[in-house]
Amino acid sequence: MAAKSDILPGTLDMLVLQTLSISPLHGYAIAQHIERLSHEVLRVEQGSLYPALERLQRDGLITGKWGTSPTGRRARYYTLTASGKKRLGQEISDFEQVSLAIARVLGREVRV
Amino acid sequence: MSWFDGFAHRVRTVFNPGAHERELRDEMALHVELDAMQQRDANRARRRFGNRTYYQEETRRMTWLASLDVLRQDARYAWRSLRRTPGFVAMVVVTLALGLGVNAAMFSFLDRMFLRAPAGVSDPSALRRLWITRDRGTESFTYQGLNYPSYVALKAAAAGTAELALFNTDNGLRIGRNRDGPPVHAVYATSNYFDVLKVRPALGRFFAADEDVMGSGVDVAVVSHVFWRTRLGGDSSILGQTLMLGRTPYIVIGVVPPAFVGLDVQAGDVWIPLAAFPGRARQGKPWYQSPTTYGSRVVMRVRPDFDAGAFAARATVTMRRVEADLRGADADTSVSLATGSIIEARGPGKLAQETVIATRLGGVAVIVLLIACANVVNLLLARAVQRRREIAVRLALGLSRSRLVRLLTTETLLLALLAAGVAILTAWWGGNVLRSLLMPDIEWIDSALDGRVAVFALGVAVLAGLVAGVIPALQASNPRLGDALKSGVREGGAAGSRLRSALVVAQAAFSVVLLVGASLFVRTLQNVRGIDIGFDIERTVMAELQFEDGEEPPDVVVSAAMRDIAGRLERRPGVEHVGRAHLSPMRGYAVRPYFTGSDSVSFVSSDFGPLFSAVSGGFFAASGLRLLRGHTFSGGEYGSAGNEVMLNEAAARQFYPGGEPLGRCIRFGKRDNPCHTVVGVVENTHSRAVIDVKMGQFYVPLGSHAAEFSHGTAIVLRVRPEAMPSVRTEIQRELRRAFPLAHPFVISMSENLERDYRPWRLGATLFTAFGLLALLVALVGIYSTVSYTVGQRTHEFGVRIALGARMRDVVNHVLAEGLRVVAIGVAAGILLAMAAGRLVRSLLFGVEASDLSAMLLASCTLLLVAAAAALIPAWRAARVDPVTALRAD
Repeated sequence: MAAKSDILPGTLDMLVLQTLSISPLHGYAIAQHIERLSHEVLRVEQGSLYPALERLQRDGLITGKWGTSPTGRRARYYTLTASGKKRLGQEISDFEQVSLAIARVLGREVRV
Repeated sequence: MSWFDGFAHRVRTVFNPGAHERELRDEMALHVELDAMQQRDANRARRRFGNRTYYQEETRRMTWLASLDVLRQDARYAWRSLRRTPGFVAMVVVTLALGLGVNAAMFSFLDRMFLRAPAGVSDPSALRRLWITRDRGTESFTYQGLNYPSYVALKAAAAGTAELALFNTDNGLRIGRNRDGPPVHAVYATSNYFDVLKVRPALGRFFAADEDVMGSGVDVAVVSHVFWRTRLGGDSSILGQTLMLGRTPYIVIGVVPPAFVGLDVQAGDVWIPLAAFPGRARQGKPWYQSPTTYGSRVVMRVRPDFDAGAFAARATVTMRRVEADLRGADADTSVSLATGSIIEARGPGKLAQETVIATRLGGVAVIVLLIACANVVNLLLARAVQRRREIAVRLALGLSRSRLVRLLTTETLLLALLAAGVAILTAWWGGNVLRSLLMPDIEWIDSALDGRVAVFALGVAVLAGLVAGVIPALQASNPRLGDALKSGVREGGAAGSRLRSALVVAQAAFSVVLLVGASLFVRTLQNVRGIDIGFDIERTVMAELQFEDGEEPPDVVVSAAMRDIAGRLERRPGVEHVGRAHLSPMRGYAVRPYFTGSDSVSFVSSDFGPLFSAVSGGFFAASGLRLLRGHTFSGGEYGSAGNEVMLNEAAARQFYPGGEPLGRCIRFGKRDNPCHTVVGVVENTHSRAVIDVKMGQFYVPLGSHAAEFSHGTAIVLRVRPEAMPSVRTEIQRELRRAFPLAHPFVISMSENLERDYRPWRLGATLFTAFGLLALLVALVGIYSTVSYTVGQRTHEFGVRIALGARMRDVVNHVLAEGLRVVAIGVAAGILLAMAAGRLVRSLLFGVEASDLSAMLLASCTLLLVAAAAALIPAWRAARVDPVTALRAD
């Protein structure tokens, strides 16, 4: 099981961007999504999401707007911007390159 | 787009940090709530989330608020540490403020002259001025004055490419009939002037085309906003009212908007149609048809596709054609036209000497700032060494080096901003002083201090603060921690002292450069004052009459009255000689076509011909000119004579080299005019300005044929110095009695020349002032450096004295070390001065930019002053009590 602070901030940003590329979500939903899809291998201490969200907003990759949740609560929804999308593409391709390289070093087969 | 989005978010957070904090808290609370519902365990949810306060802080760290916090912290720390050393703060602030102040003052002046386009006009980048160049032998003159027929032709030729307007200025008008009424600066302009400038009236209207028809100009006036508010009451009832300027009533028809003050440095008060310009008729023609009435200037608005070269070529062709039409054989074929920037000082015309001086002073101001900054760096270095223990402790406790550098630089920036505040005040005062020195004839409307100057001062202050602060900060953040924390270590480090010495060298070098400059300018002034202009400066007095426009009686009437007055004045005690002239010496000059013997030489030839003057027989003695050959005119001192002529030495040599000039025949005006016989030769003079070539000069008698248009309206007297004041009063009285309504003008030759001397005097004064300022700052720097070094080496001096060194030895030692550094600086400064000499060569007279004695003087001055500055700490070093020095830490 991955320890709680295992995940690097850079990777977290990428995961958030990917999550938001599907649809706008609020903070809790993003955390749930990442947890669920990674089968709980990647678990972030939930609070660390918020500095990451601030960082992404500061860099203009996502924007946040207050809205109403399905249950009627006031929540801040985050959307991917055009440059966010572009950055996501870059990050993914970088990540794939690095994984390929690591796999090669470890002698593992790579399935793309 | 992305940077902008992010930027908007960042700015929003900074401006509303409270909201940001609240929203984040709500968001986190919601998150935990939702998770609690999901997990069905509130405690588990809280644990999963983590430390909310911690994450709130982390999030805040991502925003700019964190940086602002750091900045605020740094500033508070800097302020606290500065407050503990007020002496240091005062020294740094004063030094920087001096450097910043002179720069801001120079900027205020230079910005006004070179950078600022006329205010209140639309799109000034499309405006141009028109310049004319004429060649006269070896010289060529570039100026803006045009005559009216040329303007009409050029306007037509430019149709489609540019629209031209013509204007004229008169700064001598006054409100009302009284000669002492408030002065008014008038601009006479064609009716399309405001259209070309795209200015709209704030009140009323501007001239209509039918009010500006040559020959029937209507006396209407448009006034400036300031003039309307301060002199005319400032309410809209002014329209239709009459404004008396001199003896002419003008009807006010409009007011310009507040920002617009005309196209010159001197702000205009009143605009009047050009057709109403009271120009003088010449040779039977009204001024706007006379080819010799120059003085109007062109302003033009050009199309976006304007080609300056093509226009200049076309305009030149047009101008030459007009010249040929108007003046026939006398036409000047060398005339050429060119366009220039709307900012007059940038145009191709030669700059006034005062303005050139100002540009050089700008460079000098920068040097003064550099010296001041070097001082500040030295002071900061010394202070950093004093604080090394405090800094070492901080570093040991975990302060990052970059943070420390930022902290120390913030301190320096704070000092720089304080200095900027003082500097802005200095700039305001200094700017006013500069204006009154460099352009005293102008009535300034705007303040010497404005937004641009303030921004400039702040910007330079920040730059200086950063530059001066970074090096000591970097140095201070790199102490040898172990040594610093230990007690008993003295010297501040070899690198530090090398830097300090280098700074002193730089200061000395710059100071030498400025001192050399000052001494060169002082010598130039002395040389200029020593020029022999031929006339006797001490004893010559000139008298003329000045009339209101339109009130002037015919020249013959004035001349006759002046002859009577001259006769009466001759008998006065104290008056040695009296003469009359049609132009007072050194107050104007004229030329006339001449024909010597068989030559058919016209005066508009490749060489600017000899000057022409109509005088009485007594003129030469009255103005102190020696007679070299022959005799003066018949007809007495101040009377008329027949067709004679006198030459000066240069003219005699030019026309009769090696031969006999006396008895020869010269004709003036037309080729078949009567002969004027040469009766004498006088010494050469400068006739146009103090600095002049000794040109050829013809003198014809008043009343002779050649003098038919030149009447003796000026009186020249040779007066004994002790009788000067009483004679001058008498002259005034006589003139007033003859013409009660006119303004008598009596001036001595030396007063008249002051006008010519002024730029030289200015150069000497200002360069000396700046040079002394730099010397002062450098002196303070040398003193503080030597003082500091001595302080550091107290222990060493204690040992020396204990080992038997005498007071004299210690003093010599300290002096020698200090002077060694300064001497290196002096050598470097001499080299710099020689290299920079080129920049001031045009402002010097009679002395080379690489003058050896100036350099010697500057070097000796600096070494002497430096020795004096180093003497005090040296003496202190010699007085060290070895017991206390050895015992102390």
